[in-house]
This record gives sequence, structure tokens and C-alpha cells, in this order.
Amino acid sequence: MITRIKKKSPLFIKISFYLALLIIVVAGATAFKTTKNLSKSSELVVETYMVNVQLEQIFSYLKDAETGQRGFIITNDSLYLDPYVNSRESINNSFAELKELTKENDFQQNKLKDLSSLIDKRLNNFERSSSFSVNDNLESPKFDPVFFEGKELMDAIRSKISEMTEHERVELLRRQEDYQTDVLLTPIFLFFLILLSIALVLLAYYKITKDIDSLKSYNEELETFKESANQSEIISKHGNWIWDIEEETYIYSDNLYRLLGEQPQSFKPNLDTFMEYVHPDDREKLEKDVAAMMENEHLPFVHYRVIQKSGNIKRFKSYAQVLEIDGIRKLIGTTSDVTDEFESFRLLEERNVELERNNKELSAFNHVASHDLQEPLRKIQTFLSRLVDKESENLSKNGLVYVSRIQNAASRMRLLIDDLLQFSRTNKSEKVFETANINLILEGAKQDLAEAISDSNALITSDTFPVMYVIPFQIQQLFSNLISNSIKYQKEDATPEISIQYSRINAIEDDKLIKPKKEHYHKLTFTDNGIGFKNEYAEKIFVLFNRLHGKSEFSGTGIGLSICKKIVENHKGYIFANGTPDKGAIFEVYLPI
Amino acid sequence: MNENYINVVLADDDEDDRLFFSEAFDELKIKTRVSTFNDGVYLMDYFNSEDAILPQVLFLDLNMPRKSGLECLKELRADEKFNDVAIAIYSTSSSEEDVENTFVLGANIYIKKPSDFKSLKKVLSDVVTLNWQYHTNGLNKDNFLLRL
Repeated sequence: MITRIKKKSPLFIKISFYLALLIIVVAGATAFKTTKNLSKSSELVVETYMVNVQLEQIFSYLKDAETGQRGFIITNDSLYLDPYVNSRESINNSFAELKELTKENDFQQNKLKDLSSLIDKRLNNFERSSSFSVNDNLESPKFDPVFFEGKELMDAIRSKISEMTEHERVELLRRQEDYQTDVLLTPIFLFFLILLSIALVLLAYYKITKDIDSLKSYNEELETFKESANQSEIISKHGNWIWDIEEETYIYSDNLYRLLGEQPQSFKPNLDTFMEYVHPDDREKLEKDVAAMMENEHLPFVHYRVIQKSGNIKRFKSYAQVLEIDGIRKLIGTTSDVTDEFESFRLLEERNVELERNNKELSAFNHVASHDLQEPLRKIQTFLSRLVDKESENLSKNGLVYVSRIQNAASRMRLLIDDLLQFSRTNKSEKVFETANINLILEGAKQDLAEAISDSNALITSDTFPVMYVIPFQIQQLFSNLISNSIKYQKEDATPEISIQYSRINAIEDDKLIKPKKEHYHKLTFTDNGIGFKNEYAEKIFVLFNRLHGKSEFSGTGIGLSICKKIVENHKGYIFANGTPDKGAIFEVYLPI
Repeated sequence: MNENYINVVLADDDEDDRLFFSEAFDELKIKTRVSTFNDGVYLMDYFNSEDAILPQVLFLDLNMPRKSGLECLKELRADEKFNDVAIAIYSTSSSEEDVENTFVLGANIYIKKPSDFKSLKKVLSDVVTLNWQYHTNGLNKDNFLLRL
């Protein structure tokens, strides 16, 4: 989010800046153009006046000539003819002036041509009427028409001039209107442009202020973050460093100094000063690793030792990555003090070795139990059976009793050894889980117990089980232990009835399951009609070598149910016992689905 | 005359076991010739001697000094001339490891030494009168270990 704002803001500011610049240029251009138009239009006004003046002048020259001519006609004094003589030249000058002034106006040029021919005619008329006066033919009937024609021509010239003056006036009016609009609109337009650019500048200013504010708050956040990073470095015993590869400059975080046993920023960081702390045996390797870091961009962790000035040896772990920021290659790294980890790892390894040794001893013991202990026992039993078979006649009644007692003790010992072996085998690490048909496993368990079942006439009923993901031989052991238990702890003169029910349960709905790891469990309920037990022993019966009855009442080693518990634990399941004295026992087994 | 007898050999370092073994055959009504050897070296020396009478069934204890039953088994199964000798492992332990190993190495049956003389007699008579051809053809890990 921070990067988005940072990228968006300068773009906006740039755009508004360029827009304001554009507006100012447009305003300047408009002002320049308007000023130019203005001066042009004032020039045109002057031109119009000049045309009018010249026209007036031409007419006034003609009038002077006319007055002079009349004077000459009346007095016949040639002195009066001077204005007429001068008027020719003056009129020609004015004409030339007019031609120049109206050269861009076709209308006026045409009129000017008409005017020129009229003036020429008038001047001719002067000539002719003057000639009457010179010859004293004023009384001649021919003079009156000539004089009259002079008057008519003069009227025509006046009307032509007034036509031209009128045209100029209209032109002037039109130009003045244009000029007026220009003069009126330009300032408004300019004013708006300036307002717009001010608005843009203000907006940009607002945006910049806002950005600075958010930048400030980001800075504060960054500062807080830096502080918490410092703290986390202290608590997790690591430090950061940045190595600017091109500039050959280094930055260490405060905690990196502390890890080296120094005050923060107490010396100038670089590779050489750092190497001084590195254990001499590790220096060469570290140098190689650092060189590799530059080439491979990022590397697996690098391990080495450092010696603090106090003499303490610490184990460091470093990781670094080359980053290119704005085209500058930097090695950014983290170094962590793993001395404690290393120590605990070493301790763990020692324990592991010890554990392994213990395990070996245990399996050696297993072997002793399975082989060496069984052998003498087997012989005792075999010799006893030989004694009973061959020598019973030679033994007294007491002797026979003793022999049978020895036989009992020996059988018990065999039972113990067998059960112990089984218990230790249940502990073995090879636990191969597979999807197994539980119905077949139950059949297998029944076969194992075929003799006991047929001897006791036990009735075993069971539901149909789905397949389960289990260690098959252990589950068979579990079944056969539970069934043989039910058969063994039977009321006198009663037929054992054992039912095995199945249900699939939801872990949350069952109060007995404490902190279940799975959502669903298979639940197997073994119910019998045996002697049961007091519920206060419900947990005790699973403890190794724990027996609720005297040896003479029921044979047993106190291992069978411990094996059951072990098996269920191997499956990450639960087993619960529930007894009612003289009614029976219920064993519930939960296996995760 | 030899054909009427079943030749049986036992290699076992335990004196008592050799005694039980011989006594059991004595009491059985099967015509057998029983010879016993005190360890694997004696056994192999005899088997490799020229005048050796190879038995129909060899009972082999696993845990013996000098040369163990396992070593004997390996040597015997490596030599074709002993192909016709049925080898019955005769051991105190019936650890899965031992059962697995001897099965893989080519033993024909695995007997756990019974702790009762009657059972011993029954087991030995069963094994000696076993139809080896039939047994060996259908041999698998399940029927390899003789169940009492």
C-alpha cells in the first residue's frame, strides 16, 4: 500500500504541474495574439481616418478650384485660377495616398477609379468653362450647359465621396465591434486560465502536503518497526548487515556488535575487522563461503565460530543474498548466534546415543529373555515331565504334590516370560500400518484362542467391521488378549458370552475422549458377562504387573491389558475399562479413522 | 536294510537336548537311526566326509559354539549334494528374525523346542513322517513355523 501511494502521488503532481505550465503558455499566447489584434485594429482605425481626411481634402481642393474658377469667370482675373492650377497637383497627391491606403480594399479601389474619372471629367469641365470666359463667350448659349454639367459632376463627386466615406464608416464600425469583443473576452478568458492554473497549483500543493504527512507517519512506523526489529534481534540473538559491493561499505545492526561482544557501532565495520573475530580455523572456509555468496546470489547457511574479546567462543550461522536496488548490488545478510542451539543439539545427540545404547541393551535383554531364560526353564519342565512319566511310582504322595507344585511354578514362569516378550515386541519400532480387514483379524484371534474358546464353550458375537488402517498383528493381539481376558475372568459355572460391537463416532460428541487428535474414531466395545471389577480399578488394571486377583484364583501375569493399552497407544487411540462386580466388564477401544 | 530306517541327524551343543532327542526317538515306534553332533563343525566335517550317510532329516540348533546353525544352513544350501536333506531348525527361540532368516536361507521347517516330553515326541514323529515333497512345494512363511 505504501508503494502504491508513493508511485501515484508524484505522477499526479507531475501532471498538474505540466497542466499548469500548459495553461500559462496558452494564456501568454492568447494575450500576445490579442495585443497584436489590438494594435492592428487601431492601425485600421487610423487608416480609416486618413482615407476620410484625404477624401475631404480632394473635395475641398475641387471646391477651391470651383470657387477660383467662378471668381475668374466673374472677374476674368487670372489670379483666381491659381487654386485650380494648384488643385491638380494636390488632388493627384491625395489620390496616390488614397490608392496606397485602400490597396487591400477592392470596393474602395473600384470607387476610387470611378472617383478618378469623375474628377478628371470635372477638371476637363473646368477647362472648357474657363475657355468661355477667356474668349468672352459667356453669353454664348453653349456656356450654360457646360457650367451646368460642372455642377452635376460636382454633385456626382460629392455623392461618390460620401459613398466612400460611408463605406469607411461602416468598416470602422465593424472593426470597432470586433475590437470591442476582443477587448471584452480576452481578459475574462485570461482570468479563467489563471484561476485554473492557481487551482491546479493549489491542488498539487495540497497533495504534496498530504504526501508529506503520510510520509511522516510512514517514517514513524518505520522508526517503530526498526525499534521492534532491534528488540527481536536481541531476543532471538541475531544481527543484520548490508554490504554495498560496489562502494565497499558495510552497515551492521547494533545487535551484530553485541553478538561479537562489543558496544553497538563501536568500530568501523568491514570484512577485515569482522574476520579478526572469526576463529582462526574457520577463517579460510568463511572467506571461501563469502566469495561464493557473491557468485551464487544466495547460498545455504554458513556456519563458523567467532572468538569474543573476552575469550568466549560463539557459534554463528549466516545467510545472505545479493540484491540489486536501483542498480546497486548489495549483499544483505543475517547472522545468528546459534551457540545455545548448537549446545542443545549436541546434548540431544548425546542423549540419542545414550538412548540408542539403552535400546540395544533392551533388545539384548529381550534376547536373553527369549532364549537364554527359556532354555533352562524348558529343561526343568521337560525333566519334570520325564519324572512324572517314568518315576511317579517311585515318588511318595508328598513327592508327587511337590512335583506338581514345581510344574505350576514353572508354567507360571513360562507365562511370564512369554508375556514379557510380547510386551517388549509391542514396543518395537517397526510399526507397519496397512489397511486391514478387521473381520479376518478377529477370525485370526479366535483361531489363536480356539482351545480356550472350545474348552469354555464361550459364545462370541460380533458386528461386521469396516476396514481400518492399523498394524494388523498388533490388533490381532489386542483382540485375542481382550477375548482371553473375558474367558479367563469368568464366573464359576457360567458360559462366557462376549459381544464385540462396532460404531463410528464423532470425537466431539464423546465425553471420554480428552483432546482427541482426529475428528472421527472407530469404536469397538467388548462386553462380557464375567466377574467384572470395581470401577475404581478401571485405570489400574492397565498398569504393568497389576493384578486384581490372587494367583491361585486366576492365572495371569498382569501384562495382558498393559499390552492392550500399548497397542492402542501405538495406534494413537484410546482404551477404557468399565466394570460391574459379578455382572461383567466392558472394554472400549477407540481407533482413529 | 538301510531303506527301512529313517536316518535322522541332530546338531546341538546342549547335552540335555541331545538326550531328550535320543530318548524321544527311542520311545517312538518309528524305525530311525539317530546320530547327534556337538556343534556345527563336527556336523559339517561329517557331512563333507566321504563315507557320510546323508540323513533324510537334519535337526539343526541355531545357537552353537564354533559354527552356528545358521552358518551350517548356508553351507548346506550352497551345495547341491545336500539338496535331498530336509533341514528342520530346532531352536529354543522362535524370534521373528530367526524364523525369517532361516526361511530365506532355505530351511524346510522351524520347530520351537517344546517344554514337555510328550509334545517333543509328537513333534519329532510328525516331522520325521512328514511328506517332504508335499510340504516343501506348498511352503510359505505361515506353515514354515511348526505350530503345536
